Amino acid sequence: MFAKLKKKIAEEAAIAPRPGGAARIPRSVSKESITSVGADSGDDFASDGSSSREDLSSQLLRRNEQIRKLEVKLSDYADQIRNLQKIKEKLENALEKHQDSSMRKFQEQNEAHQASRAKMAEGMALALEKKDQEWMEKLGQVEKEKKMLETQLQEMREQSLNLFQKRDEMDELEGFQQQEIAKVKHMLLKKEESLSKAEQELEACTRELTHAKEVLRDASTESSGLRKDLQELQQQFLELEAQRDELMTAETNAENKITALELREQELQTVIQQLSVDLQNARVAGSGCEKRLEILQVEHESLKVEYEQHKQKVKYFQMHLLLAGVKVYAWMTFEFAERNKLTEQLQEKVCSLEKKLERNLSGDEHVRELLKEKATLEQKLDETRQQVRTDRTHHTETLNQLETQNKELEQKLQIATEALKKSKEAAAEQDLKIQKLQTDLKDERSKLQQQILSEKHQYDQKVTGLESQIAALETAWEFDKTATQHKISQLEKENENLNGSREEYESSLKKQESELNKLKNELSSRETVSVEIAKALEETRKQREELQQQVSHLASLIKEKDQLIDEKCDMLLKQKEELNQLSQDHEAVLLQMHQLQSDIEASHRQAVEKEETTRKEIDELKLQIQECLLAREHEKNVSELEESTRALNSKHLHSPENCVVEQNGEVAAADVIQLQKDNRELEQQIAEKNKMIKQLQQRMTELKKTLQKELKIRPDSEVPEVREKANSEVPNASVTVTNNSDLNDSREINFEYLKHVVLKFMSCRESEAFHLIKAVSVLLNFSQEEENMLKETLEYKMSWFGSKPSPKGSIRPSISSPRTLWP
Amino acid sequence: MGGFFSTIFSSLFGTREMRILILGLDGAGKTTILYRLQVGEVVTTIPTIGFNVETVTYKNLKFQVWDLGGQTSIRPYWRCYYSNTDAVIYVVDSCDRDRIGTSKSELVAMLEEEELKKAILVVFANKQDMEQAMTPTEMANALGLPALKDRKWQIFKTSATKGTGLDEAMEWLVEALKSRQ
Repeated sequence: MFAKLKKKIAEEAAIAPRPGGAARIPRSVSKESITSVGADSGDDFASDGSSSREDLSSQLLRRNEQIRKLEVKLSDYADQIRNLQKIKEKLENALEKHQDSSMRKFQEQNEAHQASRAKMAEGMALALEKKDQEWMEKLGQVEKEKKMLETQLQEMREQSLNLFQKRDEMDELEGFQQQEIAKVKHMLLKKEESLSKAEQELEACTRELTHAKEVLRDASTESSGLRKDLQELQQQFLELEAQRDELMTAETNAENKITALELREQELQTVIQQLSVDLQNARVAGSGCEKRLEILQVEHESLKVEYEQHKQKVKYFQMHLLLAGVKVYAWMTFEFAERNKLTEQLQEKVCSLEKKLERNLSGDEHVRELLKEKATLEQKLDETRQQVRTDRTHHTETLNQLETQNKELEQKLQIATEALKKSKEAAAEQDLKIQKLQTDLKDERSKLQQQILSEKHQYDQKVTGLESQIAALETAWEFDKTATQHKISQLEKENENLNGSREEYESSLKKQESELNKLKNELSSRETVSVEIAKALEETRKQREELQQQVSHLASLIKEKDQLIDEKCDMLLKQKEELNQLSQDHEAVLLQMHQLQSDIEASHRQAVEKEETTRKEIDELKLQIQECLLAREHEKNVSELEESTRALNSKHLHSPENCVVEQNGEVAAADVIQLQKDNRELEQQIAEKNKMIKQLQQRMTELKKTLQKELKIRPDSEVPEVREKANSEVPNASVTVTNNSDLNDSREINFEYLKHVVLKFMSCRESEAFHLIKAVSVLLNFSQEEENMLKETLEYKMSWFGSKPSPKGSIRPSISSPRTLWP
Repeated sequence: MGGFFSTIFSSLFGTREMRILILGLDGAGKTTILYRLQVGEVVTTIPTIGFNVETVTYKNLKFQVWDLGGQTSIRPYWRCYYSNTDAVIYVVDSCDRDRIGTSKSELVAMLEEEELKKAILVVFANKQDMEQAMTPTEMANALGLPALKDRKWQIFKTSATKGTGLDEAMEWLVEALKSRQ
């Protein structure tokens, strides 16, 4: 839109100057007026003649400036004049050409006209007159319109200028607005970023919260599950306890049963004892029977023995009697035989001895004795023969007696045998009885024994059954007991486990609760943070709203401006339309003008008029230039006059001005020359001073360069000092000195630093000293070997093992031979 | 039970000392922060020519904290201490807007060191108790922290004299160090 406007305006501007140099002239006029005003103001200044020299110098300077301006203007005017002269020449040429062409055309047209004039002279004269009048009116109208248009154009230009200004303002405003909008957008973006961050954080928080909640739920579910488990376990525990109680009751029942069984056992034992007692009684009875039997047997045997004794006695008696008869007979016979033998032996011996006595007549004594013995023996033999006779008689008597006794004994024997038979019978009966008794006894015994055995067996069976029962019960009881104990232990274990798990769960619950609390705290803190963030967000929203309001305000302003612009555009469009209309009118007028070119006179007149106007303008310009020159001269004169008046005033205060005015020209020229000289001198002085300044600046720059070089040599340590120096701007001579002092300072600082580091290195722990090796080695310019040696030494010190590293390189001891001990 | 494990854990964990450097321009408050962390009190400090090293125990973690002097002349010696560093606490004076550029260049130069590639960076926007103090975001932008790549960093607003913000920063640092292991 604006571009179009600009174009149009440019076109118009291009069109406008075309009609002639008319547009340029007013500018020059206006400039002149400005300069004239300036000159007037100079005069005003000059009237304050009593001011000081400084004022004068300032006035002089102003004058100089004015002079310069005037000179510039003069040159401009000269240029303009030249231009105008050129234009004039061109115009003259054009005019001549035009005149020639127009003359030709005129002649041609004249001829044609003269031909047509004759025909149309009358009608055309009337018509021409009419048209002339009309055209004149129209021309007037057109001129009026033109003026109007010109005024409108000026207005439009003004408006356009205003518009431009407004546009510039608008642009500026837009720029500001854009800047502000950009700022606002930037701020908004930042805020949005922070908002998004905050939102992300919030989301993260919420996620964490949800996560924590889930964890909490899980934990709560777990805890509830655990609680359920606990309850179940407790129920199990209760059940187990009930089972345990039942088992305990069962145990007590079993114990009761056992006691009952024991009682029964005791009863049975008593029964057994009774039975055994009975058995013993039976045995005793049996033994009694046996004893009786034995007695009976003994009796029987005694009876037998008696019987046998009786028998033997009888036999013995018989035998004895027989034997006694026999013995007595035998003995008698024997003794008789023996006595016979002895008598024979003795007779033999008496014969032998008589023989021996016959033979041995020496042994009379012995023979005596023997004869005595023979006598004794013959006595004895006689006695024995008597005895034997008595014995024989006695024996016969005894034999008789014995035979009588035998008879008696035989009688007695018969009685005894009869008694024996009777006793034998009795004995047989008794034997039978005894046998019966024995058999009975045996039967009874066997029966009793069988009974006893059976009873024993039964009792044993019972006892074994009972014992087995007892054992079974005991085993069952023990089993139950062990089972129950096992169960109890298991239950206790389970209980312990459950308690442990319960404690664990409780601890975990506590932990989770603490975690929950922590999470809650975190949540609360995050909530507070989020609240803060929300507040910040609200603030930012408020700011945003404010900014939006501002933006909206600005937008409204923009809209207003836009509306204004639109209005203006509309206005412009209207004006354009008007302009178009006007231009159309103008074109129509121009067409009419062209049509009217047939009217040569008019164009001629116009040309003449233009020529005249140009000439007038040239004249006017010349006049103006002259005036300008005059004015300049006047100014010069005035300045010189002022000087001179001052001089005169200084010389004699009451000199009349008229004289001065009369001597104006000469004095002014001299003054001008003087002034110019002064001016030159002053300019020279200024130039010299400028040179001086330049030289000084060069020296400054050189000094700065040298300073920077020195700084580059030690860039690390002298930055602040340099800054200080730069700030203070010490004179050049002292720079080197201060540099030295800086160096010293830096060295001092470095030395202090080195001192501090070495002190710490020596005093601190090995682990800390290890980190200081590098600093120390940098500060003391250690080589790599030395640094490594230090590290190894420290490592040796820090470690418990290892050998001390031997010093290398420059640290090697300077003594060649091993150190000797002190004497 | 858990406590027991945690004590064992911490006893196992606390065997190695963490090495932390406190860096920053002169007058940023490094020494004050160091002794605030160690004894919990505000000490009167003089400009550190050299360094201070203290063992700070925080949450069963032992830190060997090195506070290096920040004066311009001794700043080049920082690099002597970089090896085996676990974390760097970079302290910046929030009110010193004139030297924030210097601080940034020092920080950037420090972070380019190979020995500190794995170190965690904690920036302390110190002196927040003062008026006209820069906000952490402002400072982070001024220090060019958002442009850092492959670096675990965090900025905290602290006041060493008031003792605010240090606990949160140390908490974060402890978590970061734990998570890194």
